[in-house]
Amino acid sequence: MKQYIRKADIILLIVLVIIGLAASAALSFSRTAAGADAKVIIESGGEPYASYSLYEDRTVVVQASDKGAYNTVTISGGKVSVTEASCKNQVCVHHGEISRSGESIVCLPNRMVVRIDAGGSEEGGGYDSVTS
Amino acid sequence: MTQSPRNSSAQFIARVALMASLALIFSYVEAIIPYNPGIPGIKLGIANVVTVIALYKFGPKEAVCVSIIRIIIAGLLFNGVFGMLYSLAGAVLSLIGMLLLKKTGLFSVTGVSMAAGVLHNTGQLLVAAALIEDLRIFFYFPVLLFSGIAAGILVGIISQMVLRVLK
Repeated sequence: MKQYIRKADIILLIVLVIIGLAASAALSFSRTAAGADAKVIIESGGEPYASYSLYEDRTVVVQASDKGAYNTVTISGGKVSVTEASCKNQVCVHHGEISRSGESIVCLPNRMVVRIDAGGSEEGGGYDSVTS
Repeated sequence: MTQSPRNSSAQFIARVALMASLALIFSYVEAIIPYNPGIPGIKLGIANVVTVIALYKFGPKEAVCVSIIRIIIAGLLFNGVFGMLYSLAGAVLSLIGMLLLKKTGLFSVTGVSMAAGVLHNTGQLLVAAALIEDLRIFFYFPVLLFSGIAAGILVGIISQMVLRVLK
């Protein structure tokens, strides 16, 4: 019988770890502190559902396409969390708060995504100036 | 032990059925253990030990059958249809990966299983991205990658121990 670990295994492990580290580094760069006009964007079933300012406190009940399925999204003090969900696994509720742009909370059973987008001054503004 | 013809279909069916039920029991045991690592989608996948053993002890056909049968039945019994969809995508990807890596002959059972763990999680993430139609869910990729490595190595070592005894 062959041994437990071979040289190729170690190489594969190192490659995978490097990919993982590179991916987490790339992701942490893409998450910057939210700007003054950061927006909370809610999508349901792959479609845009609503968008709010990150700095106006409110509570939104997001209805999913399935009947009776919902997520309650709470925006409070520049932080967003899902405080209630109809789904079984409650992953989105346990996810906790997000406050930086690029972060998101996903509820797979209800196909809902909440994410924070940096304000127009960083990306949107540049886009507009090119097209106009 | 008397050797009957190895490739008789009755033997194949019996073998696959036996291993599929064993894998199903592992799935069940894992489903009833109330452990929650706080991060969704992370589990050991102990049932994959049976898939790995099927692959090495018998062959690709057995491994594919055992894996697919287990996922469909476990999906209907405990994981739900969505869970089944995720598992199927992960299983297809990891089975392809395992067959290819095994074919190179360079990797041990542990290495093949590690790759399978990572591919399994990647497949699930792809389905999740397709379902919510948002690639941004890949922020979750590093977590799943590392957990896939860990789970895969563990499954690989267990499989190799069992394979040694079976030899």
